[in-house]
Amino acid sequence: MQTNNNNNNNNNNNNVFEVENLNLWYGKTQALKDVSVKIEGRKVTAIIGPSGCGKSTFLKVLNRLISLIPSVKISGSVQFHGKDIFSDGINLVNLRALVGMVFQKPNPFPKSIFDNVAFGPRIHGKKTKSELADLVENSLKKAALWEEVKDRLHEPGVSLSGGQQQRLCIARALANEPEVILMDEPTSALDPSATLKIEDLVRSLREQYHIIVVTHNMQQAGRVSDNTLFFLNGELIEADTTEKIFTNPKDKRTEDYITGRFG
Amino acid sequence: MPELGDAKKIQLPLRGQRDAYIADKLTEGVKKSHLANFFIEKFFFLCGLTTIVILVLILGFLLDKSWPAIQEVGLQEFLFQTRWMPSSPIEAGFGALPFILGSIFVTVGALIIAVPWGIFSAVYIGEVAPFRLKEALKPLIEILAIFPSVVMGFIALVVLAPLIGEIFGLTSGLIGLTGAIILGIMTLPTIISIAEDAITSVPNDYREAAYALGASRWQTVRYVSLPAASSGIVAAIMLGFGRAVGETMAVLMAAGNALSMPVREILGLPFPTLMKSVRTLTANIAIEGSDVAWGSLHYHSLFVLGLILFIMTFAVNLIADIMLTRFQEVNRNE
Amino acid sequence: MNKKDRQQAIWFTVSGFFMLMTLAVLAAILYSIFKSGAAVISWEFLVDAPRRNMTAGGIMPALVGTFYVSSLTVLIAVPLGITSAIYLNEYARQGTIVRIIRLSIRNLSGVPSIVYGLFGLGLLAATFRLGTSLLTSALTLAIMSLPWVITASEEALKAVPASFREGGLALGATKWQTIRQLVLPNAVPGMATGSILALARAAGETAPIILTGAAFFLPNLPTALSDRFMALPYHLFILSTQHTQIERVRPLAYGTALVLVALVLLLNMAAIIWRYQMRKKQTW
Repeated sequence: MQTNNNNNNNNNNNNVFEVENLNLWYGKTQALKDVSVKIEGRKVTAIIGPSGCGKSTFLKVLNRLISLIPSVKISGSVQFHGKDIFSDGINLVNLRALVGMVFQKPNPFPKSIFDNVAFGPRIHGKKTKSELADLVENSLKKAALWEEVKDRLHEPGVSLSGGQQQRLCIARALANEPEVILMDEPTSALDPSATLKIEDLVRSLREQYHIIVVTHNMQQAGRVSDNTLFFLNGELIEADTTEKIFTNPKDKRTEDYITGRFG
Repeated sequence: MPELGDAKKIQLPLRGQRDAYIADKLTEGVKKSHLANFFIEKFFFLCGLTTIVILVLILGFLLDKSWPAIQEVGLQEFLFQTRWMPSSPIEAGFGALPFILGSIFVTVGALIIAVPWGIFSAVYIGEVAPFRLKEALKPLIEILAIFPSVVMGFIALVVLAPLIGEIFGLTSGLIGLTGAIILGIMTLPTIISIAEDAITSVPNDYREAAYALGASRWQTVRYVSLPAASSGIVAAIMLGFGRAVGETMAVLMAAGNALSMPVREILGLPFPTLMKSVRTLTANIAIEGSDVAWGSLHYHSLFVLGLILFIMTFAVNLIADIMLTRFQEVNRNE
Repeated sequence: MNKKDRQQAIWFTVSGFFMLMTLAVLAAILYSIFKSGAAVISWEFLVDAPRRNMTAGGIMPALVGTFYVSSLTVLIAVPLGITSAIYLNEYARQGTIVRIIRLSIRNLSGVPSIVYGLFGLGLLAATFRLGTSLLTSALTLAIMSLPWVITASEEALKAVPASFREGGLALGATKWQTIRQLVLPNAVPGMATGSILALARAAGETAPIILTGAAFFLPNLPTALSDRFMALPYHLFILSTQHTQIERVRPLAYGTALVLVALVLLLNMAAIIWRYQMRKKQTW
C-alpha cells in the first residue's frame, strides 16, 4: 500500500522502515496479511486497531523479536534504512540495539536502577565507569526520570512506581543509543497521570528518535502521533497522517473504528 | 550541587546520511557472533543428551555384563528354576525364580496394604478435611517420604518384626509380611499424593452435576470423583509398584532373606505366601554384590538379576507414564 | 438421618481413620527413633570413632564419610543437571529429541537404586578401574540424583518470568548473555533448594554405596578419592543386621538412626525455609 503522507521522492526519502508484502503466520494462522507500508523518520507513528488485529505482531517484526517464536513463518521484505532485516547475515544484536523496545508491562530487571539502565551499554562493550555513568545519567534525563531517582540509583528498579518503572524501561532502551523506539501499549498498565507523563516524554523524544507506538487508546494516538496506521484482522487498512485518519478517514472500517463502532 | 544542564540532544540525521552507517552496523561481526552462539548452543545440547546416554549405557551395560551368564546358563534357568547356588563348585544353580516371586509377592502385598490405605487417606485430604487441615496434612505426608530406606528397614527390624512375631507366634518376625508392610508404608506418600492430585483435578462441573442430582458428597466421591480419577489412581499404583519392586534396604532388613520359594503347599498345590522368610531380587544383589569375585559367573549372574529388575521397573514405569499423560490430557480437554 | 447421610458418615469416618493411621505411623517412627536414640546422643558420640569392635565409641568416621560422599555427589550432579535443564528449558525446541530426553529422565528416576549400584560396580569400579572408592560411590550417586536435579532446576528456570528474557533480547543481548545475566541469577535459589534436597537424598542412600565403596569399618578417615569410606546409612545397616553382638549395639544403632534422620530432616527443612525466605524477597 502506497501512502501519500510521505514526501516520496528519492532526494528527500526519509523512510526508516519500508515494508513490502509482509505476510506472517503463527503455525497455520495468518496474523499479518500482505502488509505494505513506509514509516517516516523523525515522526511518531501510532499503530491502532482492535486487539488481535496484528499490531503487536507487526511491531515485533521490526526488531525481529518475532523470530524467537519457532512456529512463525514470514514472507515479504522489511527494510530498515534500505537494508532487508530478514536477509541472511543480519546481526540481530546490533539490530535490536538500533531498534529499542518498550513493553506493555514495565519489566525492569531485578537489578538496581543504575544497572538496569547500564545493562545495554555493558553488554555492548562499554565498560569504563565514567562512560557508563554519563550514559546512565543522560538516558535517565531523556526519560525524565533523573530528578526522581538521582539520589537512589542503587536501589532496586522494582522499588519504583509503575509509571517510573516504565520510564526506567524507556531510559534503558535509550542507553543503547537507538535510532528507533518501539513501544507496545506502553501505558496500558499505568494510571492516567503516569500515562500523561509517558505521553509528554514521547513527544519530547520525537526530534531525536523515530518512535512507533502501538496503542489501543485512540485519544492517545491523537495526542502523541504524527502518522497513524490502522490494522484490522491482520490487514493494514489505512495509513495516513493522524489528522487525516481522525478527521477524514478514507476507509469505512477506519471510520467505524475511530467512531467507536467496534468493540 | 552543580547544574548538570539538560540531557544532550542530538537531532537524528536524515535518511540519506544514515544508510551506510546502519547497513554497516547490521552486518558487522555476524560470523563471529554466530560461531560463538553455535558453540554455546551445541554445548548445552550435548549436556541435554546426558540422560539419554546414561539410560542407554545402563541398559547396554546390563545386557553386556549379563550376556556371559545368559549364554552359559540360559535365560530359562534364571527365570524358571528354583535353586540358587551360583558359586557352588560341585553343582552350581542359577534359579532366580524365588527372588522374582519374592519381589513380586512382597510388592503386591505392599500394594494390597497401601492402595486402600492411600486412597482413603487421599479421599480424606481431598474431600473431607477443611482447607487448613489439608494444608497441614500435606507436608506431614511429605515427611514420611523423606526417611531413608535404611531407617525404614531399621524400624521394621526393631519395632515391626517383634510385633509380627508375637501376633503370629513366630520365633522370628522377619518374614515377607513384615517386608510388605514396611514397603507399603514407604509407598503410601506416592499413592496419597498422586491419588489426591487425581481426585482434586476432577472438574467441578462433574461434581456440581452430581450434587444437582441430589447425590451426597460421599456418593459424589464414590461414583463421580473416583471413577473419573481412576486412570490417575491406577498410574499411582503402577508408580508405587515400580518404586516398591526396586526398593532394597527396607526389604533386605525386614523380610528375612531365606533362599526358598515364597510358596506354601496346600492340598498339594503351591500357594503364594508371605508368612515365611523371603528374599527379593534387590536384596540378593545387595547381599552378594559386595563380595562377589569380579568377572566370575556368579558376578555375571547378578547382572542378570539386575537386568530382570530393570526391565520390570522400566515396563511398569513406562505404562504408568503413558497413563498419567493420557489422564492429564483428558482432564485438560474438559 | 437418612440412609444416604448415614452411608456418608460411615465412609468419611473410615477415610478419617486411615488418615489417622498414616499420621500414627509417622508419629510412631519419629517417637521410637527420637526416644531410644536421644539417650545415646552426646558430643562424644558425634566426634568419637567406633571402639572395641564397634560396641562402644561414636560415629565420627561414618558422619565424615557421608559428608564427603554426598558433597562430592552434589558437586558432580549439580553442574550436569543445571546444564541439562538449561538446554531443555532455554534452548530446546519441542521435537522428538526433547521427548526422548524427557522420557529418559522419567525412566531414570524409576530405575532401582541397587541397579545404579550394579552399574557403578561393573562400569566404574571394574571396567574403568576406579575400584570400590569414594569417587565411584559419588559418581554412582550423582548419576542417580541427576533426574532429581534436572527436574528441580527446570522448575526454577520456568519460574523466571519470560519478560526478563524478552527484555534482555530486545536490548540486543545475545541468548547466552540473557540466560547468564538475567535468567540464571534469578533461578539460583530454586536450583539451590533442589540441590539441597538431592544432597539429603544422596546422604540417606545405602544400596548403591554397598556395592561401590562403603566400608564396614575403617581405622582411618579417607584421604583420597580412591579410598573407601564409612557412611551413616551403611553403618546403621551394619550395626542393626551384620554385627556379631546385635543386641548389645542396638543403642548405638538407634543413635545412628537418629543422627541420620535428623540430618535428612534438617537438610529438608533448611531447603524449605530458604525457599520461603527467597520467595519473600523476590519481587517478581
